[in-house]
Amino acid sequence: MAIPNQALEQIPDSYKYGWHDAEQPLPVFKKGLDADVVAEISRIKGEPEWMTKLRLKAYRHFESRPMPTWGGDMSGIDFQDIYYYVTGTGKSVQSWDDVPDYIRRTYDRLGIPEAEKKYLAGVGGQYDSEVVYHNIRSELEAQGVIFMGTDQALKEHEELFREYFGTIIPANDNKLAALNTAVWSGGSFIYVPPGVHVELPLQAYFRINTENMGQFERTLIIADEGSSVHYVEGCTAPTFSTAALHSAVVEIIVKKGARVRYTTIQNWSHNVYNLVTKRAVAYEDAVMEWVDGNLGSHLTMKYPSIYLLGERAHGEVLSIAFAGDGQHQDAGGKVIHAAPNTTSLITSKSISQGSGRTSYRGLVKVYPGCAKSKSTVRCDALILSDEARSDTYPYMEIDEEDVTIGHEATVSKVGSEQLFYLMSRGLNEAEASAMIVNGFIEPIVKELPMEYAVEMNRLIQLQMEGAVG
Amino acid sequence: MTVQTAAEPLDAAAVARLSARHDEPDWLRDLRAAWWQRAEEAGWPTGQEEEWRRTSLAELPRDLPLLTDPPPADHPLDPALAAAGVIFTDLATAVREHPDLVRRHLGLRETIAPQAGIWARAQAGWTGGTFAYIPVGVRVDTVLHARHRLPATGHAYLPHSLIVVERDAQATVLQEIESPDGQPAWFGGTTELIAGEAARVRFANLQRLGDAVWQIGAQRVEVGRDAEVTTLDAEIGSAVTKVGLDVRMAGKGGTSRLLGLLAAGGSQHIDINTVQDLVASHTTSDLLYLSALYDEARAAFYGVTKVRPEAKGTSSYQECRNLLLSPKAGAEPIPVLEIETNDILRCGHGATAGAIDPVQLFYAQTRGLDAEEAERMIVRGFFEQVVAQIGSVPIRARVLQALAARIGTDDQEVAA
Repeated sequence: MAIPNQALEQIPDSYKYGWHDAEQPLPVFKKGLDADVVAEISRIKGEPEWMTKLRLKAYRHFESRPMPTWGGDMSGIDFQDIYYYVTGTGKSVQSWDDVPDYIRRTYDRLGIPEAEKKYLAGVGGQYDSEVVYHNIRSELEAQGVIFMGTDQALKEHEELFREYFGTIIPANDNKLAALNTAVWSGGSFIYVPPGVHVELPLQAYFRINTENMGQFERTLIIADEGSSVHYVEGCTAPTFSTAALHSAVVEIIVKKGARVRYTTIQNWSHNVYNLVTKRAVAYEDAVMEWVDGNLGSHLTMKYPSIYLLGERAHGEVLSIAFAGDGQHQDAGGKVIHAAPNTTSLITSKSISQGSGRTSYRGLVKVYPGCAKSKSTVRCDALILSDEARSDTYPYMEIDEEDVTIGHEATVSKVGSEQLFYLMSRGLNEAEASAMIVNGFIEPIVKELPMEYAVEMNRLIQLQMEGAVG
Repeated sequence: MTVQTAAEPLDAAAVARLSARHDEPDWLRDLRAAWWQRAEEAGWPTGQEEEWRRTSLAELPRDLPLLTDPPPADHPLDPALAAAGVIFTDLATAVREHPDLVRRHLGLRETIAPQAGIWARAQAGWTGGTFAYIPVGVRVDTVLHARHRLPATGHAYLPHSLIVVERDAQATVLQEIESPDGQPAWFGGTTELIAGEAARVRFANLQRLGDAVWQIGAQRVEVGRDAEVTTLDAEIGSAVTKVGLDVRMAGKGGTSRLLGLLAAGGSQHIDINTVQDLVASHTTSDLLYLSALYDEARAAFYGVTKVRPEAKGTSSYQECRNLLLSPKAGAEPIPVLEIETNDILRCGHGATAGAIDPVQLFYAQTRGLDAEEAERMIVRGFFEQVVAQIGSVPIRARVLQALAARIGTDDQEVAA
């Protein structure tokens, strides 16, 4: 696959005068990763030197770090069998006919418009709603909100970008975050000025002609003092990708008195390893909320975290996971209390079905001196089949006396008497199971924007139809 | 008996000399050699294992000489029980007098991989310990009370206790371990408890080791069909304690109740690992560990409930509560669930950590108690959740007496 970059194509293989690289042109379009590929990505993007250096530094960390031995089975990932820079969205499906049947069926059942279907499946480009989004964009601009692709932000707002990029998740963080820092492309950049409240949830769709859900997207959100914003990433409808690995990084800074909610509903196709690092810092009186839904992928490992750095900061993680046949959702949340009077709430609901496995993995840490901190962790798991599995790994490190920290978890199945009751009221088994499951996840679904909540309920129903009878 | 020490630390030669010294039968010599080989193969924990992340063995005095001839522990036994076939004695004595019984049960159970190295090491080098055997259908109403007192001599002491309660039998066993303060030692006690079909067993381990002792202990419990086992682990002494409790619900319909009381102060570090392995169907396993942490004490709890695919219709709960009584105390309660079937009756866990509720403290003070008394009463009330479940009156009294040193207790209660 080639990219239409005439300038690069015109460079002769051997340039006699001045410097030249010995390497082949455009090595990044081959599979595999080495320092040259990383440098080439940066060069093609025309990035400043500091970013190139940061990418290379991150690449060295990626190289030197061992694969995590905990969590899901990652042995199926071959880092040398992956394209690290592809134009567009990293989806190389050329025709609607190549999209798997189950995804097309799901689109039909969800009632997704034709143009949007193709976009989601990676076949078509951005679907055509430019007029609407243009209006939204001009409103945002009038408020001083910056909302654009991360690559574009590096070009247009380099100073602001550089001040925050990689400060929450540094280049030498975990192996997969280091990989993302080395090869990132796409993602969203949001800056909300002090006191500005963005009323409408921001979605990646609003950004026109930029990359959206890339393989190695990088998102950076800065909510300045007293501001608020809700960002929605992804969508409930299945997202088809031919790429085996998605490793995104999301960094969020919630300044004094600000409020950020970040909603993700991930529904990658079932061939994808989805290994994501998401972290937010919340200062004095700030509120950070992660609403994190995991429905798709082969393996997801994702633990959105919140560092409560200022007094009275509040953090919430709402996590929902659904694992069907062959899927493993290893998800959860982390809250680190690093200031007094901070509060947090983690709620996890997970459902495993068929041979699926859900694992809640979380951490609550309270540093010494963070008096009057309060945290509650609540995990509920529903196991729908005999071969399904559910795990709960709730880590807690409490180094302060004057705190109230609690964790509670339950694991249950759909009771036969519940099913019997619903079926006696005229529902079939699938409908009855779906109703019970929908009731189980309701506390989280009600936090979603309306259209997502509706889609989520339909999706659960769809999954149940395949499972029962 | 005088205390003699081997010239060098625990190694293959020291293990072989132990067998020779006590003129042990061939099967035991071979068993020790096999265990030592496994210990060598498994090595020491690296600290990367989930179970060993919270306790570093860097400062374990692992080169201390092995205590080859420990002072004998007390194993008083009613002659009437002895006549009924009950055995309650030193494990070494049992090896001589009841070799077939010991051989049939000693160290046959596997443990989880991260504990394998430590487990094998302790088994290879064991000296001292208790052997309790209750024959089929025999019901022992009194408490079988074993007292182990360590000498103040700075040794590695690896006693091994084996408790076998046969089919339809019933017993209550209390194991007390004490040692003086100020003397570094490595105490590696292992207890194996095997409850046969429909057996009823209550086992209490009361640990009051000296303040310079490292305890790396292991308890393995096997619960047979329809058996009922209650264990109580009261951890009060030691500088560092790392105990692995591994309970296998092996027989259909078995029940286990696992209780823990931790009262730690100074710079004590207590790290408990539990595994509730629900292997058979219709088993029940409930765990409740309570810790009261004073000064700079720190308690880690990493407990796993595993429900195997074939274990249908099980019930289990895991609860770990920590009371932090000083600004520098710390707790890391981690209750883990690994559930591999949907056919469960009940499964869950809970963990908490926090200070005394100031409202409770205030209330107690309005009733005329000073702050110290109020705190003591609240801690005692906190422990009551476990203390009330100690079915044996003499054991409850011993445990309260042992706790008194740390939390202070009402004298009348101890006398009762």
